[in-house]
Amino acid sequence: MTVLWDTTALKGQYEVVMPGDTIPEMFWNGVAARGDQLMMREKQFGIWQGWSWKQSGAAVREIAMGLSALDFAPGQCASILASTRLEWVLADLAVLSAGGVSNGIYPTDAAAQVQYLCEDSSTVILFVEDEEQLDKALSARAHLPLLRKIVVIDMDGLSRYSDPMVMGLDALRELGRAHDLAKPGLFDLLRKNRRPEDLAILIYTSGTTGKPKGAMHNHGALVYMCHGYNQVIVQDEHDERMLFLPLCHVAERLGGQYFSIYTGTILNFVENPDTVPENVREIAPTTFTAVPRVWEKFYSAVTIAISESDRLQQVMYRWALGIGYKVSDKVTQGQPVPLWLKACFYIGRWLALDNVRRMIGIHKAKVLVTGAAPISPDLVRWYLALGVPMIEAWGMTESCGAATVMPAHRIKAGLIGPAAPFNEVRLDPVTQELLVRGPNVFMGYLNLPEKTAETIDTDGWLHTGDVGTVDDEGFFRITDRMKDIIITAGGKNITPSEWENELKFSPYVTDAVVIGDRRAYLSVIIMIDLENVEKFAQDHDVPFSNYASLTRAPEVLARIQDEIDAVNKKFARVEQIKQFRLLDTQLTAEDDELTPTMKLKRKFVEQKYSAMIESMYRS
Amino acid sequence: MTTTPPLLKMLNVESAYGPIRAIRGVSLTVHTGQIATILGSNGAGKTTTLKTISGIIDPRKGSVEFKGENITAMDPSLIVQRGLAHVPEGREVFPLLSIKDNLLMGAYTRADRDGVARDMEAVYGYFPILKERAAQDAGLLSGGQQQMLAISRALMAQPDLILLDEPSLGLSPKLTKEIFEIVVRINRERGTTMLLVEQNANMALNVADYGFVLESGRIVMEDTCAALREKDDIKEFYLGMKEDGARADRRWKKKKTWR
Repeated sequence: MTVLWDTTALKGQYEVVMPGDTIPEMFWNGVAARGDQLMMREKQFGIWQGWSWKQSGAAVREIAMGLSALDFAPGQCASILASTRLEWVLADLAVLSAGGVSNGIYPTDAAAQVQYLCEDSSTVILFVEDEEQLDKALSARAHLPLLRKIVVIDMDGLSRYSDPMVMGLDALRELGRAHDLAKPGLFDLLRKNRRPEDLAILIYTSGTTGKPKGAMHNHGALVYMCHGYNQVIVQDEHDERMLFLPLCHVAERLGGQYFSIYTGTILNFVENPDTVPENVREIAPTTFTAVPRVWEKFYSAVTIAISESDRLQQVMYRWALGIGYKVSDKVTQGQPVPLWLKACFYIGRWLALDNVRRMIGIHKAKVLVTGAAPISPDLVRWYLALGVPMIEAWGMTESCGAATVMPAHRIKAGLIGPAAPFNEVRLDPVTQELLVRGPNVFMGYLNLPEKTAETIDTDGWLHTGDVGTVDDEGFFRITDRMKDIIITAGGKNITPSEWENELKFSPYVTDAVVIGDRRAYLSVIIMIDLENVEKFAQDHDVPFSNYASLTRAPEVLARIQDEIDAVNKKFARVEQIKQFRLLDTQLTAEDDELTPTMKLKRKFVEQKYSAMIESMYRS
Repeated sequence: MTTTPPLLKMLNVESAYGPIRAIRGVSLTVHTGQIATILGSNGAGKTTTLKTISGIIDPRKGSVEFKGENITAMDPSLIVQRGLAHVPEGREVFPLLSIKDNLLMGAYTRADRDGVARDMEAVYGYFPILKERAAQDAGLLSGGQQQMLAISRALMAQPDLILLDEPSLGLSPKLTKEIFEIVVRINRERGTTMLLVEQNANMALNVADYGFVLESGRIVMEDTCAALREKDDIKEFYLGMKEDGARADRRWKKKKTWR
């Protein structure tokens, strides 16, 4: 078990643990070396079932040969429209082993979006999760002349459905088995077909404005990043990881799937997105990467549980957490932790903190990694106070994942760490924009050479669009997205994400969009956390019926006002948030206002709720 | 939508059976003269809501107001005297008493004999079959007739509000229709306010003026029934109407959003 003041166990591994210059080569070397070791786990009918490397290899080979039997040629693209599940990984590895290009599509995307992504990527084979996703594919296929086959992973409810274009995954595997027998030696040719410089995967960036853009990554960059990750977030065959973020997103695709295939870390799949809290406790991951929203959820669940516990438990929790904060303050300031404090901390862990960790499911975690969105420094401090190192990584689709990572032995909450050893990061001297250079920088956007030229300059620097600062130790700090910076009517530069992150730390706020560009004062649109606000209303006898009435209850509005006042105090020197509105419909990932990772899209919110925004500036 | 004063008001009511919370903060208002309905799937907490109103279950939290008076956790008999009658799920007539005696049991709390006799005639007017068989044991009646008797028994208490718990339970479509017609007639002629719990959402939305949708112990939607009938989620999940997708035999369900 790591402790905050001694992180030697987290020292980077610079040696290559699994050879291979392409993803298939790395995977097949893994199958040969690890054979009967456990590679993945999934839950079936309530029981965790393991998949060995050998077993997974056999399935991948069958699917890959099935694709070949369908005339899927090296260099062609196959898309996967499914939520994060074991078959996603099998299909992905099979596409790559067949020499193809693999592209993920979010299961929350609408049929029109699916059609666009298949068109843009020239998809010839489409894997869909189940009948729900199949219906999207069927309504899009009339416009997809290149599409040859739709492969359904889960055939439940489709046994009587027959369509020459649709087949089940099991049928594909059978086809692959027969094809493999008929064409001995073909598979080995296929899996060795690709070179490191060849296109491997497409990751579409969720465009907040305009159509999504397909970022191209080659095998070399992916393998390079697997090696690189092990230098900063070390893991090995004894580690357990939980896969639950969308695999279409670079964070889970690279940091979860490929990195774990490289290190032999066991991949555990959640049952579905709703069972994440239960699954974390069952799996107890040892390295755990998640987005701030997930960390916020855990935090607010603990806060609520503490407020419902008895006085003694509350006192113990507060005391232990106080000790935890003292320890983390010492550690983050780079000072030694005195012996008495260490002793107190062990008592605190025994009294309360270990239980909190067990309640979340991070009791075995050596390290927590947060990324993909800005996180409130207070939230990082809270996890540090529990005694688990939480390191922030910053990167983007175009940098193939993390480009800066906080070192575990020198955590500075609120910063994103120095440049990772595997790439260069610097500030643009004029615009303060963060620039990244290295083999991990993407090949460009598919079909969009002008956009690519705008993003990668002639010296090979990737323009990330994030502006920030750097301190004397080389640690970067992001102030905001370049295009999001607000200049108020008074001429002050405001970085909305700083405010938004502070607001999101409140258990009652899920997400917020701060408005104020060319305005007299700041205002904010808030999406409430239904569960916690419901509970607040219930505890304070606030009558409400549905979601809308909850967002209109005066007591709820007063509570949110208190949260805003508290945040305003922290920013006393600059402008204040003077008005706010709550979104009165409950948004889901299917809604256009949210990205698939459930973040509010600023531009979209500004447009759709312009009337609401105007109402905040009418005196 | 209505200007009549609220007759019944529930504020953040929570009721539980032991550790299981059946309703988790229900707030609703029924106005005088309305027929209001509560829709919801099995176990949503519909019956518990009615039982909490009529005092059979004491809520953990929240309050129930009837005609401006707080009746939370009051003895059920006192609530009946204030003009609130409950027709329980599954009729619950007294099987070994005659129909007439059953009706008189409904008027047990009343002292005005003339009034009781008048109401008895009125009830026989609504349901002539009860008059024909007045002397028989109630247990010998058919299910539909028992339901008529249960409603009549509630009317005998001269209530301002009747809570009706699944009047269509176990009845043929024809009988269900008849019973609902009478319910509407009682409401129109006597001005009795009704709070109706129903599984048959189509029927309930047709007769009622205002509807609440209850899901796992919480109200997720409320509106006039005309408006409710147009909501996508109501259409798909309560009225069984769904647009045909790209393929026949669609099994998957949309997520409910309740907007």
